[in-house]
Amino acid sequence: MSFKLNMITLAMTLAATPAMAANFSVGNANTDAVNFSQYECKRCTQTQGYTGEVSVNAGYNSVDDIHAGNALGTAEDSTISAISGDLHYQNEEGYQAKLQTHLLGMDNGFARFSAGKSGVYSINLDYDSIKTYQAGNIESPFWHNNGMLTVSDTMRVLDLAQQREKIGLGVELKQDLLDSRFIANASFSQEDKTGHKSSSLVAPNPINFGLPVDARTKQLDADINISGDNWLAALAYQGSYYENKITHISLPHLYDVQAATPDNQAHLVSLSGQYQLNHTVMSGRLASGRMIQDEDLITVSDSPLQSWDGQVDTLDGRFAISTMFTHRLRLGASFAYSDRDNHSSTTEFTQYNYNSVTGTFRQNKPQDITRHTYKLSANYRIASGYRLQTGYDRKAVARTFTDREQTHDDSLWMKLNVRAFDKFNVSIKGEHANRSGSEYEASKETSSENNTLLRKYYLADRKRNAVELNINHMPNNWISVDLSTRYANDDYHNTQIGLTEAQDYGYNFNVNLQFSKFLSAYGFGAQQWINSNQAGSQSYGAADWQADVEDQFIHLGAGLNYGGLMQDKLNLGLDYSFSNSISDTYPTGSDTGELYDDYYSYHHSTSAYANYAIDEQMALKLTYRYERYFDTDAATVGVNDIPGMITLGDINHNYNAHQVMLSFTYKLH
Amino acid sequence: MNARSHLVIATLVAFCFWSSHTLATPWQNLTSQQLETKLEQKFSEGQYSSKGADSCLMCHKKSDTVTAIFDGVHGQTNNSKSPMAGLQCEACHGPQGKHNRGGKEPMISFGKNSKLSASAQNSVCQGCHNDPKQMAWHTSTHNLEEIACADCHTVHSANAPALDKLTVNDTCTSCHTKEKADMNKRSSHPMKWNQMTCVDCHAPHGSMNESALMQPTVNDTCNSCHTEKRGPFLWEHAPVTENCVSCHNPHGSVNDNMLEHRVPQLCQQCHAPDGHASRVVPKPGMDAFGGAKSCLNCHSQIHGSNHPSGSLLQR
Repeated sequence: MSFKLNMITLAMTLAATPAMAANFSVGNANTDAVNFSQYECKRCTQTQGYTGEVSVNAGYNSVDDIHAGNALGTAEDSTISAISGDLHYQNEEGYQAKLQTHLLGMDNGFARFSAGKSGVYSINLDYDSIKTYQAGNIESPFWHNNGMLTVSDTMRVLDLAQQREKIGLGVELKQDLLDSRFIANASFSQEDKTGHKSSSLVAPNPINFGLPVDARTKQLDADINISGDNWLAALAYQGSYYENKITHISLPHLYDVQAATPDNQAHLVSLSGQYQLNHTVMSGRLASGRMIQDEDLITVSDSPLQSWDGQVDTLDGRFAISTMFTHRLRLGASFAYSDRDNHSSTTEFTQYNYNSVTGTFRQNKPQDITRHTYKLSANYRIASGYRLQTGYDRKAVARTFTDREQTHDDSLWMKLNVRAFDKFNVSIKGEHANRSGSEYEASKETSSENNTLLRKYYLADRKRNAVELNINHMPNNWISVDLSTRYANDDYHNTQIGLTEAQDYGYNFNVNLQFSKFLSAYGFGAQQWINSNQAGSQSYGAADWQADVEDQFIHLGAGLNYGGLMQDKLNLGLDYSFSNSISDTYPTGSDTGELYDDYYSYHHSTSAYANYAIDEQMALKLTYRYERYFDTDAATVGVNDIPGMITLGDINHNYNAHQVMLSFTYKLH
Repeated sequence: MNARSHLVIATLVAFCFWSSHTLATPWQNLTSQQLETKLEQKFSEGQYSSKGADSCLMCHKKSDTVTAIFDGVHGQTNNSKSPMAGLQCEACHGPQGKHNRGGKEPMISFGKNSKLSASAQNSVCQGCHNDPKQMAWHTSTHNLEEIACADCHTVHSANAPALDKLTVNDTCTSCHTKEKADMNKRSSHPMKWNQMTCVDCHAPHGSMNESALMQPTVNDTCNSCHTEKRGPFLWEHAPVTENCVSCHNPHGSVNDNMLEHRVPQLCQQCHAPDGHASRVVPKPGMDAFGGAKSCLNCHSQIHGSNHPSGSLLQR
């Protein structure tokens, strides 16, 4: 008997598979015997009006290094204040509003406001402020004046810190029509990014300097969604517009030595949907995007273009299907396509001859990239509490203007989950992956520059083996322990110059303890090691030097919370964490090489608090935070320590910072 | 009402109070499959209570956790989409059946202490939450790993931790412990102070993109905040164009700037010309090749340059 089974009949077979798993959705409820007129809710304690709390925070920061502002919310070395709160309102008609604020008034804080009628419409207004501190009191003889980088007789001082301030407005409408549900969203946000960041230019000696940042990004999103009982569809648009207010960099003796980051914009339109038939679910998405950058170019001699037409079109598609083939077996498959088509204009541009290898003219090379991703997976319940998953993933990438135009990563993985024991959950996962591809050949564009034995790590043949073990143990109802450990090895087996191998392994554990109704504690720890080896050639031939890089990371922490004191009015808490990041580099091999000077950082963070309820409506909280931070990098040196170049000096950190905060909270009932 | 009736009522009330405060339920000894079968039977029989929520609250009202349902949207009676406007408690917990006669009959329960399978628990939530955020749930890792909605979401609450910017990272890292540790490395996104959240980049309900990202590609995700790096640039740097994670680990790194390796070694993994880039740097801080920004002292426009003469990403 011949039996021909194609993909369509297979899909139909899967789709027609009868229901096998429990479905307790309210739409399936047997309500024949229900008399809703008898339903009452006299005991329901419907919350109407305002609820929530408002906190006024005031305190003192002791900060020597602005880097502490990352952890403490502000780098102010003085008294500080902020407002936090979480307010809710709802009434009998279904109108509701919510306002959440966090440390409003400090450099890092946010506010969220939303209001509307539940299930009908809502508006939201958001504000976010994030300030990231890199280093303070940086000394530099160069100062930036409207694009001109001027040498100063004395050292100028600046802070390397950037602040993002974002406001957003959104509207959501919901409407039922016939048997479908319509949801429409529209939102607009605007983010300003200001401050200074570390940068560098070459003229022809390298100069590190503080580059001002002043940019705005506008984001406009809109989507409309329609859903029925077993299907969903969505049409969405995303638009992003970047505007840089900083001009090109010039030196007094050399104009337009460095181009400013150009304005750009990106647009994306997507259509997506999902359909469910019994226990088979299919979903798909098609997204078409365009990125545009057409800034005027800096005028240089023999430059053929005054402005450049940069345009990249993208097309992303995905189809996925998942089905419960039997009550034990779930099968899944997906296919994804992603294409980056760079339509930007190309021509030859004059190049300055700082590097003798570079020719006088060079043509820009807009790169196209196409990806195909295939995934197959099976999830089989061997027995109650035992589940085996396995899958095969393949990612094929094709790219132009590169040493290897095609690569494909194949991965086979398997995972066993065991939940058969009352007090243990265990899972173990193994993966074997292989990257290969078309012949590795230094293309015409790069062959004149690179050693033919080089295999760039993101294009190179690679074998990866990885294993991961997770254990969750709950010996009783007051203690839980989580342990996970993993090991991965990457072998770049055909590489003689470049990254040749890497191992990444470590473990994590968490312990949570609930000693009593009032006393709880936790502890955690993690360690990770990442070791890698690479080879290079100073003789432009076979490998004649190596570099072993050995990274270590440790993270430890513990804390407790003790409540119920003083007739349930006082709550005490303590949190502590420690982390240490180390990276050691041996330039010519671990046995004979000389270890690089220090590159590590450590961080102690402690927080202790006491929360006292004055009465049912008012509370006082006293919080003390201590931050100890140290980092060092032997590459950072004084401004003029390296002959022929200017640096930003020693930007390593070594500080103690303290914060005391008193918060008064008023609760609304 | 005679004394015997008072005694019976008092006993029932006491039993209800006891049963709502004890951890071990009478159906604790049922296997997961037995429990599911029993609940399916109850569900199909449809023996809902005669008075809705009042029937449940007669016993469960003293539990703050239970009554906290009224602080959130699921407890609203004036919202036609809310379970409390329909079958009330039984919309989610299933028909009462004989549960109120001694509390020995199981109800649908949620969370990590529930023996009910994740798919069975989730079928309750998905009965109403069939919205675009769930578009890719069925093929998501969380679904395949049998994560229940209630493992992350708290329904009986005014403030759901998974929906709060200040607590969502804790929700995610209660399982994703490696990523929790990564936040504390020498460089990372500002996650540990909740200035950024996991859901800024990832869709916990799954997405149509790799690694459940919010945007179609890794670079689209990074560029949604780092718009200045989006380009396109006149002179591109191929691995930057292809994938930001070629060089960066967005979860954190022992190196500055979330780099997988430090410069110059990172650059030398791809650049081996017959020139200065092939030199071994024996010691950091000695010259422009190993001091300060190393390769980036000169090639500072590493993410792309728009200078006509910027092919070497210097200008």
